[in-house]
Amino acid sequence: MFSKFKGQIDTIFVDVNSASFELDKSVNIILSPSLYWVKKVTLPVKSVREVKPLLESLFEENLPDGVYSYDVYKQDDEFVIFAYEDKVILNILHEKGISSAQINKVYLAQSELFRQESAKKISEDTILLVEDGIVVVLPFTFASSDEVLDVHDVKLSKNSIRLKQFSHLVNEKSLYTIAFIFFALIALVSTEYFITVKKNNISQTQRDALFVKYGLKPTMLQNRSMLKSYEKIYKSQTQLREYMADLLSLHLKEKHKIKVITYKNKKLRVQFDGIKSGEEKYIEQILKSKKCKFSAQYKNDIWYVEFKI
Amino acid sequence: MNRINPIHIAILLVVILAFIIMKLHDAKEELAQNKESYQKTLVLADKIKGLQSSYFNKIKIQKSLERLLRQSSLRSANITKKVTNSGILLTSESMDIKALNLLMGKILNGAYNISNLKIKRLNNEKASLKLEIKW
Repeated sequence: MFSKFKGQIDTIFVDVNSASFELDKSVNIILSPSLYWVKKVTLPVKSVREVKPLLESLFEENLPDGVYSYDVYKQDDEFVIFAYEDKVILNILHEKGISSAQINKVYLAQSELFRQESAKKISEDTILLVEDGIVVVLPFTFASSDEVLDVHDVKLSKNSIRLKQFSHLVNEKSLYTIAFIFFALIALVSTEYFITVKKNNISQTQRDALFVKYGLKPTMLQNRSMLKSYEKIYKSQTQLREYMADLLSLHLKEKHKIKVITYKNKKLRVQFDGIKSGEEKYIEQILKSKKCKFSAQYKNDIWYVEFKI
Repeated sequence: MNRINPIHIAILLVVILAFIIMKLHDAKEELAQNKESYQKTLVLADKIKGLQSSYFNKIKIQKSLERLLRQSSLRSANITKKVTNSGILLTSESMDIKALNLLMGKILNGAYNISNLKIKRLNNEKASLKLEIKW
């Protein structure tokens, strides 16, 4: 990084007919007019920013088929506009032995060499000269010069261009559109994710609040076990009441009486008094008709009935 | 120089989107589980609270029994009340059958956890009672 001080970076001129370069560090490149299209236009606008959206239409019908990038800068009252094919230029640079990593900045000959006063030789067959303020490359036959172009000492302007390596894959506008759609989707999904996480936290808090409100035990296992024991008691108490209701609704014969009713350890026992052997049948039938589960035994004129709860 | 391949950016965005969608899916599943868990806990808590307040609320049971025993027909029934940590024991050596009917009618129709009961007929008008209610 520190080796790339402006003064230390060399500048080279690249034309289609240039010989290959052997570089060991990054360089600034001035592109030959043969690698771009240029126009000088006068427009009823003041700023470069206003011209940029018009560049493509200003070159319409002048350019061969291809994927072009455009640039503009203002010179006096005129706008100098350019069109160039990034991929084509990068391929040529690659052919000349210049990799992307070795390129510091790229300039166009128009912006850097338009002050050249005389024709300069750039190869055996071609020369570079300035015609009506436009830098052009012409065959050697148009003008002769023995002076070879030297760009090492050229003071570079601020009008560098940025070559897009992947402009042939997808144009910048589509890329921004796709990226915007993706960012919008990511933003939407992220928002929904954060809302869901918040809802989760609220749900968790509400559940914790239930434990406090109802005075529940710390674990669900303990609570389920507690409910199970409560339900067991509820069931046995309901059953006890059902059997008691059945017993108290019995229409006993005059001499037959219930003497004792006991309930302990989930067993309901009843002693019927004044019943002679065989007389208990009608009570048995009534209890069976009411689907009571019981066992009974007769002993010393007392009929013992036991209900299991 | 612009050296970032747009395809790499696209892949990165797809990966980020896929990752967030996955996280969202997990969060939604967790939310569904939390909601289900909340509903289950609520149902369980309601059941426990309902049973606790009816069968195992010491204060409520004591108050309702005191109210019952204060009735004029039961005040003369010689019913002894003994309160322990785990419940209440009502005993009577001899009480009127009508008073017994009234008392048992109220007890059996109320939400009391009867753990021990003994009713013995003494004659046509009298009976003895031992009733233990737990909380």
